Amino acid sequence: MTEQAPLLSVKNLTTHLHLRRGVVRAVDGVSFEVHEGETLGLVGESGSGKTMTCLSILQLLPRHGGGKLDGSIKLDGTELLSMSENEMARNVRGQKVAMISQDPMTSLNPVFSVGDQLSGPFLYHKLVRSVREAWKRAADGLRNVRIHSPEQRLTNYPHQFSGGMRQRVATAMALACSPRLLIADEPTTALDVTVQVQIMSLLKNIQRDTGVGIILITHDLSIVAGLCHRVAVMYAGRIIETGKVRDIYRTPGHPYTQALLEAIPHLGEKREQLTAIPGQPPSLLDPPKGCRFAARCPKRMSVCDDYPPGFEVGDGHVVHCWLKADQR
Amino acid sequence: MTALELRGLTKHFDVRTGRGRGIVRAVNDVNLVVPEGQTVALVGESGCGKTTIAKLALMLEQPSSGAVLFEGKSLSCMNRREIKRYRRSVQAVFQDPYASLNPRLRVRSIISEPILAHERSDRASLRKRILEVLDIVGLAAIAADLYPHEFSGGQRQRIAIARAIALRPKIIVLDEPISALDVSIRAQILNLLMDIQKQFGLTYLLIAHDLALVEHVSTNVAVIYLGSIVESGPSAEVFGSPMHPYTRTLLNAVPRPDPDFVPTAAEAAEDAGSALEPPSGCKFHPRCPYVMPICRNVDPAPTDLPDGRRAACHLLTKGLANGAS
Repeated sequence: MTEQAPLLSVKNLTTHLHLRRGVVRAVDGVSFEVHEGETLGLVGESGSGKTMTCLSILQLLPRHGGGKLDGSIKLDGTELLSMSENEMARNVRGQKVAMISQDPMTSLNPVFSVGDQLSGPFLYHKLVRSVREAWKRAADGLRNVRIHSPEQRLTNYPHQFSGGMRQRVATAMALACSPRLLIADEPTTALDVTVQVQIMSLLKNIQRDTGVGIILITHDLSIVAGLCHRVAVMYAGRIIETGKVRDIYRTPGHPYTQALLEAIPHLGEKREQLTAIPGQPPSLLDPPKGCRFAARCPKRMSVCDDYPPGFEVGDGHVVHCWLKADQR
Repeated sequence: MTALELRGLTKHFDVRTGRGRGIVRAVNDVNLVVPEGQTVALVGESGCGKTTIAKLALMLEQPSSGAVLFEGKSLSCMNRREIKRYRRSVQAVFQDPYASLNPRLRVRSIISEPILAHERSDRASLRKRILEVLDIVGLAAIAADLYPHEFSGGQRQRIAIARAIALRPKIIVLDEPISALDVSIRAQILNLLMDIQKQFGLTYLLIAHDLALVEHVSTNVAVIYLGSIVESGPSAEVFGSPMHPYTRTLLNAVPRPDPDFVPTAAEAAEDAGSALEPPSGCKFHPRCPYVMPICRNVDPAPTDLPDGRRAACHLLTKGLANGAS
């Protein structure tokens, strides 16, 4: 699988946001790849830039922020950053790259029926010739996400669905035009654990059937374990560690990844005290020059004042930490 | 000793639906004992009534029937002085520290509000107490003069905890105290809560949906489904060998931070039912993998088990629990 050209290749992506208080590099030199049929977990805390990374791929940055993008984003070998807004809207967004957002309550329009909304993508991208045909395709979409009696459900409004069902509808909408890449931004954070399992296995099945590449954005390392093939851990706008999911869990290389795994209680193991990470993430208005985790790191050294390059510690396992410098 | 007891606690809300009036049975005949100095957790899916129970315990809602007992006395039989004493003994920390702190008050005023509501205090001793609680929650003295927006989420939750302990309460109701916080901050706040519990002998009524967290901190746990407790008992027992099929469903759904973990049981097929039109018989029967004919008609009564646990399931009364596991 890795021999093939990647589906998505992001190189040195930097996203500048112009805020009233200054310019923020919300995403600061991020590079990663997603292959067909692969799920990449983008893990990080709020403000670490994981959502901004994905909005940059779709070029859906807040307009008033005057977002400016540098670097390269290639989808199937085509550079997205040189595309016009019109091209993005017609040929990429919804068509090749689709997104599921966190809160199915706000991502669906409450005043239109689910059928009206689900038939939208088919009509917009001119995949069908009539509204009736669009509704038929919409019903197929609902069937694919395992909603019973889809023809009747299409006439319902979002409030008539439960949270999990709404997320299924949002997933059906994202998959409408059979995208190559699906970006799922915290798709289960607003849902109960029992529903979370359902949505996760739905995504897994869809990937198996269609070979869609998935970027799963989450702050929860446990979800990543069950669904992702590879993981990229973000901290303060940068990717600090990437690797296969097993390597990340078995031999986490970066002190931040290690701390994250230690800091959460796990079912079935009783510990007296959790290992807390002291302090809090740095402000991106004035990020530290060196390693951004240094101020909270228990293994800080003087060399940490310079930003560590990526050191490869295993097959595709790259860690940005000076501790790994001698292991190369 | 028992700090708080819920006895036959029931809360029904009258609502108007599209088809006329209806009754939401948010809490049904809940019996629970919260021993002093311990942590009792209420777990369940959203809409199961756990927050309503917390509101009843905080006297923010009046029960439809049943009672909340504080040190053996029912809240509904208390006179005004006793109620005032109860209110100062029970404090709360809420989920979202961006919503639970008044943005227009300085931290000093936020913390002094409960103190001034309950005691006369001169400025000097008030200031001393504010600095004292700020120190306990790990904030510098300068924090007293700042506004909530000048703090991060974790620090705000520390302010909310400072406000809750300002009156030296006996019981604190923790409603999802860490779920709105960043992952790297959660352990700090959790450790802080555990420390002050030890330090002041506090009793916690914890509401949470994160089962790993609940297992970590609670001594007892009650699993709630559509307003009723389906299983309760010591956490070690409930998590170690869950008796009720719903408890098993919940535990199986918890994601493990282990790429090699394979879930053992099938996922629950359906979404939770509605408290407006709860299913007949056992409310869990439409989702239960072990459903029997009796479950559709008869609501199972809670059975006491030898290990101090109670569970309400027909499998137990039939002695089939082990056969199903």
